[in-house]
Amino acid sequence: MKLMGKDLTPAKVMAFVTERLEARGLAGPAELDLRTDGVEARVDPLTFNLQALEANADATQGLPLETHRDGLAGRAVVVAKRVFRGVGQVFINEALGRQRVFNGHVRDSYAQLAAEVIRLRQRVEELEGEEEKKAVSTRKRK
Amino acid sequence: MGQAAIAWQRVLRHLGHEGQVYADEVAPAWRSLVRPATELKPRADDFVLYHHGIASPLAGRVMLLPCRKGVVFHNITPARFYVGKRLEEALVSGRAQLAAMADFVDVSIGVSQFNARELEVAGHREVKVVPLFVEPERFTARSMDPKLSARLAKAGRPRVVSVSRVVPHKRMEDLISLHAELRQIAPGAELWVVGGFAAGNEDFKALKQKADRLGGVTFLGRVSHAELVAAYRSADVFVSMSEHEGFGVPLAEAMAADVPVLAFGAAAVPETMGGRGIVFDEKHFAALAELVQLVSTDAELRASLIAGQRERVAELSFSSTRDALARCLPSPAKRVKKTARPRVAMVVQRFGEELTGGAESLARQVALRLAPHVKLEVLTTCAVDHLTWKNELPEGEARDGPLTVYRFPVRRPRRLREFNRLSDSLFGKPLDFVSETHWLAEQGPLAPGLLEAIGARAGEFDAFLFFTYLYLPTAWGVPLVASKAVVVPTAHDEAPLSFQAFDDVFTAPRSLLCSTPEEAALIERRFPKAARRRIVGSGLEPLPAQPRRFREHFGITGPYLLYLGRMEAGKGVLDLVSRHQALVSAFHDAPSLVLAGAGNVQPRGTRVICVGRIDEQHKWDALSGALAVVVPSRYESLSLLTLEAFAVGTPVLGNAASDVVVGQLQRSGAGVPFALDDDASFGEAVKRVGVERAAMGKAGKKYAAQFTWDAVIGAYLDEIERIRRKS
Repeated sequence: MKLMGKDLTPAKVMAFVTERLEARGLAGPAELDLRTDGVEARVDPLTFNLQALEANADATQGLPLETHRDGLAGRAVVVAKRVFRGVGQVFINEALGRQRVFNGHVRDSYAQLAAEVIRLRQRVEELEGEEEKKAVSTRKRK
Repeated sequence: MGQAAIAWQRVLRHLGHEGQVYADEVAPAWRSLVRPATELKPRADDFVLYHHGIASPLAGRVMLLPCRKGVVFHNITPARFYVGKRLEEALVSGRAQLAAMADFVDVSIGVSQFNARELEVAGHREVKVVPLFVEPERFTARSMDPKLSARLAKAGRPRVVSVSRVVPHKRMEDLISLHAELRQIAPGAELWVVGGFAAGNEDFKALKQKADRLGGVTFLGRVSHAELVAAYRSADVFVSMSEHEGFGVPLAEAMAADVPVLAFGAAAVPETMGGRGIVFDEKHFAALAELVQLVSTDAELRASLIAGQRERVAELSFSSTRDALARCLPSPAKRVKKTARPRVAMVVQRFGEELTGGAESLARQVALRLAPHVKLEVLTTCAVDHLTWKNELPEGEARDGPLTVYRFPVRRPRRLREFNRLSDSLFGKPLDFVSETHWLAEQGPLAPGLLEAIGARAGEFDAFLFFTYLYLPTAWGVPLVASKAVVVPTAHDEAPLSFQAFDDVFTAPRSLLCSTPEEAALIERRFPKAARRRIVGSGLEPLPAQPRRFREHFGITGPYLLYLGRMEAGKGVLDLVSRHQALVSAFHDAPSLVLAGAGNVQPRGTRVICVGRIDEQHKWDALSGALAVVVPSRYESLSLLTLEAFAVGTPVLGNAASDVVVGQLQRSGAGVPFALDDDASFGEAVKRVGVERAAMGKAGKKYAAQFTWDAVIGAYLDEIERIRRKS
C-alpha cells in the first residue's frame, strides 16, 4: 500500500502502521504501484444503440424485478410483480404485440441507417484523402 | 450535476452571460429556478451548455439545437458495478451518447482532468477542464446544526464519516470492513454514513445487518446542509472507499470543513485531493484502521493535513472556476461608446408614479433629478404589486416625464402563501447555495427579459444603478455588469441578509450608496469584503403646509399621532394600534392615532382614524399638524418619514428596536424611541414629546436641513464619473 499526500511523510507513516500491525501479529500491506488512470473505453454510439434496440425490442419481456421498499412491503411488492408477470404474461403479450412489431421495425430501420452512416463516413474519408493528395501534388508542381 | 448547473449559472453571470437552467424533469416547486427542457428554444447566437452524466433524452435533443453548444461532462459510473441491474444499460447508453455528441458540440468541458481524458477517448476535440468549486464559508462551525452536533458529540472515538449515496461503486461494504478493523483497536469507534439509500435494496439490507452486528454504525440518510456540516465537523476523519469519482464533491466539502480526508485513489480522487489529505491505493483494512487511529490522535499530523487541505480548498475557488470557464466561452460583446453625457441605466423591481414603497419612491426621485445631467433609462418590470409581481403595466418602452422606461414581463407571479412557507422553512438556518438561490428565484420578480437586457446592453451604458438588494433584478443583475454597478441596497437587519447568495450584490459592485451610517455598519458587519460604501440617503423637498387644511378635509380635531406608510403587519402597524389603545384606556385626553396609507390590514380602535392613501399636499399638511409622527417599523434602511417629519418641525416616536431610526433620533435630538411591545414605554414617549415638542421640532428642522437633493444627486454623479474615469 502506498500513501500519497504532501502534508505527511508517507514512509514514516507507513513504517508506524506496519510496526503497529506487526505488534498485533498481522501482515503489513503489499507494495503496489499507485493507480493513476483508469478511464473508461469509448462506447461507439451506432453499435451500442443497435445492440440496445435489439436487446429491448421485445416489449413483452420485463426488466429485472426491483423495489426500493424495505421489509414486508418491499417483499410484497416483489412478489406481487412476479405474480402479475406470471399470471398476466399472456395478456401482456397480447397488449404489446403491435409494439413488439413496431420496435422490430425501428431496430431494422436504425440498423440500415447506421450502416448507411458508416458507409458515408468511409466515403467522405476517402474523398478527403483524395483531395489532400491532389492538393499536395498541386503544391509540388508549383 | 443539478447543483453544478445552478452554481455555474452564477459563474456565467460574472462573465457577463445571462442564462436559464433547463432540465428534463422539473418538480413544480422548483420551476422558478429551473425550466422544463421543452421550453428551451435557443436563438442562433445563443450558447447551450449541456451537463451530461447518465443517459438522458436531452443528449439527443442537444445535438439538433440550432445554436452553439457545449457539453459539460460530470462522468458516468462504469457499468461493471451494475451488471444485471436496470441501471447498467443507462450507464452504457450515457457513454454512447457522450461519443455521439463529439461531432456536434463546439466545446467539451470536463470538471476534472480525468473527465477530460474520458471526453478525449470518446472522440471529443477542443476539450477543456473547468473544476467545480467549493464555498468554504458554508462549512464553518457556525453552519453546524446544533441538535445533531450535540448528539454526535456524545459518540465514541475515533469518529469516521463518509458522505455518499449507498450504491455499489461507493463500496460501503469496504467502509464496514474498515470499521470492523477499527473496532478491534478502538472499541468505541463510530462510523457515520451520510447519504440516501434504498432501504428495501437487498445489498443495503445485507450491509445494514453487518453494520448492526458490529455496532457503532449510523446511517444518517439524507440530511440538511446544516446537518451535513455537523457530521463533517464532528468527525475525526473523512473516509472515501469509492471506486469511481468524476470529481468527488464530498472530498472537497470535507476539506472545507477541516476534517482530515483519507480516500481511495480511484479515478479523479487523487486529482481532486491535489496532493492534500491522504490518498491510498490498497484497501488493507487493518492498516487503514491504524492509519485512521493515527490521524485521529496525532495532533501534529492532523494540523498539517488540515493546513494543506485549506490550501487545496483555496485552489478550488469560485474564481478558479470562473477563469477556467472564461477560457471556454466567447466573451460577451462590449461596445463602449464614449459620450459627453454619461449614459446610465437604472434597474429597479418596480417603477412608476403610482407605486408605494420607500425604495421605489427613492429610485424615481433620483431618476427624475438625475435626468437633466445624464442620459438615463429605467429597466424595470411590468409589476405594480410587490406581493404578487403580477404584470399590470404594459410591456415595452414607455415615457415618464423626461425618463425612458423599459418594462419587462414577470415570468412567474409570486404565490405568497407558498413563498411564506418556503421562507419559514429556510430562514435562520445555514443553507447551501441551491436552497438560497431557490428562495431568491421565488422572491422574484423573475423577469428573464430584464436580466437579458442588462447583459446584452452592458456596453451601451457607463453605469448601472441598482435599487434594493433584496430582489432578483439586483441580485442576479449586479454580477452581469459588476464593474459598472452602483447599488443602493436599502438594507436592514432581516433574515435574507444572512444569505451568502447576496454576497455578489455587496462585494461585486463598484460602490454601495447607503442611506444611513447604521445601514453601512450593518453591511460591513455582515459582508466584511463589501465594496466601497458611501452614505448618501435621500433629499427632502417639503411643500408649504397648512395643518388646518388636513384637519378640515378629514374632520380631525384635537391632538393626533400620525403613522404614514404601508398598512402591513410587517411595518408594526398592528402593534402600534395596540399600544395606542392601551394609552386611550389609561388617559381620557390621549391623542388620536391617524393612519394614512393603503395595505392589507385595516386596524380599528377607539380614536383610531384611517384616512387611506393621501396625496402629497395632504401628506405635508398632516405631518406638520401632528403632535408626533410614529415610526413603528423595525426594518428600515432609512426612515424617510422621520426626515420628512423633522423637516416640518414635528418630533418622531421611533421603534427602539430599529438601529436606523434610533440613530436618526439620537443624531437629531428630535424624537424619542419606544419599545413597540411595551405600553408604558409608549405612554412615556408620548408624554415626553407632548412636553418637549417645540424644542424637538426646532432640533429636527435643523437636522433635516442637511438633506438636500443637490447633495444627493451630486453624490450619484460623482459615483458615475468615477466609473467613467476608470473604464
